[in-house]
Amino acid sequence: MLFQLNYKSAKAVYLQLVDQVKAAAASGAVREGDPLPGIRTLAEELRVNRNTVAKAYAELESQGVIETLAGKGCFVRSSGSPFRKDVRRRLVAETIDDAVVHAHHLQIDKAEFLRLVEERFNDFERKRARAATA
Amino acid sequence: MNDLLPAIETTDLVRKYGRTDAVDGLSLRVAPGRCYGFFGRNGAGKTTTIKCLLNLLRPTSGAAKIFGLDPARHEVDVKSRIAYVPDQVAFYPWMTVRDTLAYVASFRERWNRGTEATLLAQFQLDGAQKTSALSKGQRTQLALITAVCAEPDLLVLDEPTSGLDPIVRREFIQTVIGTYQEGAPDRRTVFVSTHLISEFEGLIDEFTIIDRGREVLTMAADEARERYQKIQVRFANDPGPLDLPGARTLRRQGRTLEIAVNGNSTRVYDELRARAPEALAIEALTLEEIFVSTLQPQPGLA
Repeated sequence: MLFQLNYKSAKAVYLQLVDQVKAAAASGAVREGDPLPGIRTLAEELRVNRNTVAKAYAELESQGVIETLAGKGCFVRSSGSPFRKDVRRRLVAETIDDAVVHAHHLQIDKAEFLRLVEERFNDFERKRARAATA
Repeated sequence: MNDLLPAIETTDLVRKYGRTDAVDGLSLRVAPGRCYGFFGRNGAGKTTTIKCLLNLLRPTSGAAKIFGLDPARHEVDVKSRIAYVPDQVAFYPWMTVRDTLAYVASFRERWNRGTEATLLAQFQLDGAQKTSALSKGQRTQLALITAVCAEPDLLVLDEPTSGLDPIVRREFIQTVIGTYQEGAPDRRTVFVSTHLISEFEGLIDEFTIIDRGREVLTMAADEARERYQKIQVRFANDPGPLDLPGARTLRRQGRTLEIAVNGNSTRVYDELRARAPEALAIEALTLEEIFVSTLQPQPGLA
């Protein structure tokens, strides 16, 4: 996967990395068992502080997205999330809340928002299906 | 030795040249393991501060400490734990690259030969070449090798990349991140003074902006990007004068405005949104933009 950092985003750099790995894992751009670049390699490539990458990987590990094998590096885990279902629902709900507020600001009403969610979900499933057959 | 002591600490540091206050009451604190940016315009007092830290200049008043030690009283202890890459690098011109490395290594307690060989190859430096024949970029690379091979706890960089071509700059920064930081990430501290901020953007954890020898702003980089933002808004009709407390209009062109906010972006965003704009977008300022707007009172953010 190719990382893209945006210093004009108000999101902390390490969280940008976290989100990109999660998106790649969810979309099938990286699959279970795929290795992530080493901390040093990625830090050098992106020219970011090594600690930023380390912090992102630690966060991904605590969220159960990746796992670290001693001496081997970091790997994408299966999407079976280690969190209980209610916790998982809450985590998703937080993201949806943000999107709802954003939609409200941009004068997107509920019906249109739900249509958009449907559309994005279909798009996501198409991408996953394509990645699985590739 | 206490590793919890700050790598750098200055307290009301003052250094005068004649009647000029080059550094005028500066207090800094750099925690070990951080990459700390020290930003200021030319002549702001960056190099003078660094020279006080390295005991190349004595403070007129106030104190500078490295790992809790006074660099004047514990010169050897301090110097054994730091390495310095200055803006203008000078080597003995009659020495070869290899002689120079051996000479510098002879002063250091630690010297990583593996790193030396790797970096010489990576920078394609010829060990048999006289240092007088090196280009500016190659001198800086050699200085960086001498600094990194000694595996210091604190790496002090003073305008390290000014005057270098983009490829050398890029390699320089990658070496600092990879070879230097990687060795002992929790302990290896970088203190970099520069006005080429965008190049170090990803590396900086925390920074201080100084102007005329005084601290103007000290902040964690992530916090700064969250706090200093600008909003672009476009209305269907000219909105007339906008009264937005805590926000400052940076630019205005008819119906389109660019507004700077400082720590109150949500409130300003909501107020703008309530006026039903055609378009509304928000973005963080880069560290370079924060630097510029902090030191340019009009129409900045400070």
